[in-house]
Amino acid sequence: MILDCLGKRCPLPIIELAKALSDKPVGFEVTLLSDDPASAPDLIAWARMTTNSVETIDSKTFKITKLAN
Amino acid sequence: MALPHIFEAAWPDPTKLGVDSKSTAILLNEAKETFASHLGIRGDEISFLGELNLGFHLGLTGLMSPDNRLVFSNIDRMEVFAISENHPSERLEASNTGQVNFTDLNRSDVVCLQLCNRETGTIQEGRPDNVAGVFVDATASGTRIKLPDNWSTALWDSTSWAGPSGLGIFAVSKSANWKNPLPHLDGRINPGPTSLPLIVASALAIDSWVADEKNLAAKIATINSDVRNYITTNIPDSDLAPGGADHLISASFLYVNAEQLVTTLSDKGYAVDSGSACSAANMQPSHVLAAMGVLTQGNIRLTIHHSTTFDEVKEFLNVLKQTVNELRDQK
Repeated sequence: MILDCLGKRCPLPIIELAKALSDKPVGFEVTLLSDDPASAPDLIAWARMTTNSVETIDSKTFKITKLAN
Repeated sequence: MALPHIFEAAWPDPTKLGVDSKSTAILLNEAKETFASHLGIRGDEISFLGELNLGFHLGLTGLMSPDNRLVFSNIDRMEVFAISENHPSERLEASNTGQVNFTDLNRSDVVCLQLCNRETGTIQEGRPDNVAGVFVDATASGTRIKLPDNWSTALWDSTSWAGPSGLGIFAVSKSANWKNPLPHLDGRINPGPTSLPLIVASALAIDSWVADEKNLAAKIATINSDVRNYITTNIPDSDLAPGGADHLISASFLYVNAEQLVTTLSDKGYAVDSGSACSAANMQPSHVLAAMGVLTQGNIRLTIHHSTTFDEVKEFLNVLKQTVNELRDQK
């Protein structure tokens, strides 16, 4: 699944990510596209706080794996 | 001396001749001695700056020669980042608790040491040794943290002891190898003149602040831990920056727009600052929070003042919880 949040400002990309993941099973993967300057640090903090996984592919592309419900 | 009288009495230039000038020169010297005694320095090491942030340039650039390297950290002030662009430099990475490792330095390094971070309250434990110079950023620590013995230059912010804003206290150690980086013809450090009423008002403020701090430090520490416990227990998906100085707390809330949070709290009578991108003029998230791995969205920075009461804090925390819930429900 690709979630295109280009042009959306903080905190919208992470809100949309959480919504997209809410009804998905553990192990589900999302590629998030975001050019908001807060997304890179905040996705890492979000993953830590919600015990999910995030991998930074490049400055605008992030691979998220759902690890917890 | 009462403040209105100072504004009347402080008009003459203290450097000129005449009775009025002499009395203002005495006022200025008394103020210097007051600051010196509280800050642990000599009165003749002090200069007053009408532009606080000029002190970063004076303090750092004045210690640099072409052979020196400027060493700073990624949680230093943006003013320090800007100065580093003009010199060979090394940016150290702070740990997730905001601590900087100063052990791997050269004798020719000029180091920026931030005693306390003004956003998170992080108190720096490491001290740079055997280096060419140490600029101490004491703008957030005020009188709370002593200068290291090997300080070269130092900067304080009058607001850190509840004094008037628009005043920096800048000091050059008698043992520092410092050259004035500003155009100058005489020995004066500040381009000046600096407002004498502000200086005297700040000297009065530091006297009463230091006296109060002794009695109120325990209350502020208790309020700090109350706030931290409440947020951790009662507001889910919150992220607290690691603590340090008791009067500062930085808290972030997932899925919350900080601009809405700050303006809603302001409408309800609470003035808080924020390190989130949406609340910043340049739309960039706080480099301090990002460097420490703390969530930058939905961030608020709280300052606990001497006059803050337990009842006010209790009311504020209820309002904060309610506001965070409301803003999350709107999504």
